[in-house]
Amino acid sequence: MEIYLPIAELSMNVFLLLGLGAAAGLLSGMFGVGGGFLATPLLIFVGIPPAVAVASQANQVVANSISSLQVQWRRGNVDLRMGLVLLAGGMLGSSAGVWLFTYLKRIGQIDFVIAVLYVVMLSTIGLLMMFESLNTYFKRRRNPDGPRGKLHTHYLVHRLPLKLRFYKSKLYISALLPIGLGFIIGVLSAILGVGGGFVLVPAMIYLLGMPTAVVIGTSNFQILFVAANVTFLQAATNGTVDVVLALLLILGGVVGAPIGARLAAKLPGVALRALMSLLILLVAAELLTELLRTPSSLYSLGTREVLP
Amino acid sequence: MRLLALLACLALLVGATGALAQGPRLEPAPGALPAPTIGGPPSAIAPPSVPIEPTTPDLIMDLSLARVSITSAFQGESILLFGMFDPPGEIVVVVAGPSARETVMRKQRFMGIWLNTGRQAFDDVPAYYAIAASQPLQRLLARGAGGEILSLEDRLASLKPATPRDAPELARFRAGLVEVKRREGLYPAAIGQVTVQAGRLFRVDLPFPSRVPEGVYDIRVYLLREGKIVAAVSRPLPVGKVGFNAQLAGWSEHEGALYGVGAVLMALLVGWLGGAVMRRL
Repeated sequence: MEIYLPIAELSMNVFLLLGLGAAAGLLSGMFGVGGGFLATPLLIFVGIPPAVAVASQANQVVANSISSLQVQWRRGNVDLRMGLVLLAGGMLGSSAGVWLFTYLKRIGQIDFVIAVLYVVMLSTIGLLMMFESLNTYFKRRRNPDGPRGKLHTHYLVHRLPLKLRFYKSKLYISALLPIGLGFIIGVLSAILGVGGGFVLVPAMIYLLGMPTAVVIGTSNFQILFVAANVTFLQAATNGTVDVVLALLLILGGVVGAPIGARLAAKLPGVALRALMSLLILLVAAELLTELLRTPSSLYSLGTREVLP
Repeated sequence: MRLLALLACLALLVGATGALAQGPRLEPAPGALPAPTIGGPPSAIAPPSVPIEPTTPDLIMDLSLARVSITSAFQGESILLFGMFDPPGEIVVVVAGPSARETVMRKQRFMGIWLNTGRQAFDDVPAYYAIAASQPLQRLLARGAGGEILSLEDRLASLKPATPRDAPELARFRAGLVEVKRREGLYPAAIGQVTVQAGRLFRVDLPFPSRVPEGVYDIRVYLLREGKIVAAVSRPLPVGKVGFNAQLAGWSEHEGALYGVGAVLMALLVGWLGGAVMRRL
């Protein structure tokens, strides 16, 4: 069944879009990340204009994060103070990101920048995850109980000014660090149409040293507001949010997420992470091939401008 | 009890999308149909240089649809153009979409990666252009149809570049433009020859792809005798979104901020309800 998407201005199969949403939801249920990093490139791949794919995917992220936040909030897994500091950076970053997006679109380089950013980011994260999961696997085989490490290690970053106490995260660190992190995630979110959970979550664990229990809830909190900001700004400045597309992705995601969560409960964590890293690397490889392969057509068209 | 209420909410939502997929039906609006032009060309169409017989021959045309309505179920549309003329003669049909500035971008390999390095904007590019005739077009136009009927090549040769560039480069960008438009089905290479029956009835199918740009399209039918235009009729064909699609697109374009707030609220509501419902199942 085909449906015409009023902002993307083309017709697309309803079940394809629902399926894409469900796949993203499955990932989010399994790994607690948004799945946007997979959905956006796939949307572009099936022919949705990149600008519309990114903006509508941000809209989907809003729905996805509110539904995870519901649970996390009830369980008290949100460090509100940390969330707000991250959010301060995130708001700035996402606003700057939407501006940058508009500029890149005007000079005709947005597709290229999106592809390159995805390749760099996905391959880095995919490789890191792959090594980490293999490492855990072999360590555990050698030493089933595993040694207990320090709560967190201290780096140079802990000597920055503007230190704040984050009670829930048991941290005393410079606010500049989460603000900076939030900013970067905000920019990524605006340009790539992702929540950024798959960057934010590892960064919160390894860079900020937050306890794992509050990481997912707090990142969900920041992502919710950043994605809402991106959706609003994209709609207000570029008019590229397709709510019909977003609604289909959201409905797919609503069904996919709990299935993913149930699967995750049954499968061992290490295998799951290895699987995820493989998936990420696969998408990265596909995008890289697109960049390197001689295109079928050298020419493309920018936006039509009706002259007065 | 609560579970039931939540289920009902989800059902409503699903129902709403279903209705959305169905979309508003196409309204034929027979009243909006302008009366078929009978008789000779209106003075606006025939250039004064074209010699017209004292008694202009009859040329009538009509379309199977008065407009192209982009509904939620729109997948492109094929419109039948048909009519009648006074034999002898040949029929040429030209369909042109609204003009706008288009920017053509060209990729080049740079350090192993393909990226857009060249760009050229053209003014006055028709969004859609199709031409069909009852005889091979080259043969008809070679005899000089008063310079009014332009083949796609002739039409595009007259494009004004927004910025000056040397001729061979311009030609390459122009070819690139045609290539992209062809791929999108907006410059159909051949919309099938105009078929003539009983020597005086003609018909041709005009294909519009799902990506067809909105605007008022101009349809012209010419009757040629010995390479000269002896009669011509024209008709505007509005192409546009209707109903729900038109409303959404309008809000997105004119009330972007409000549309953004609505999109966020929709996502919050569906995400919240969906999450709550699915967790209970």
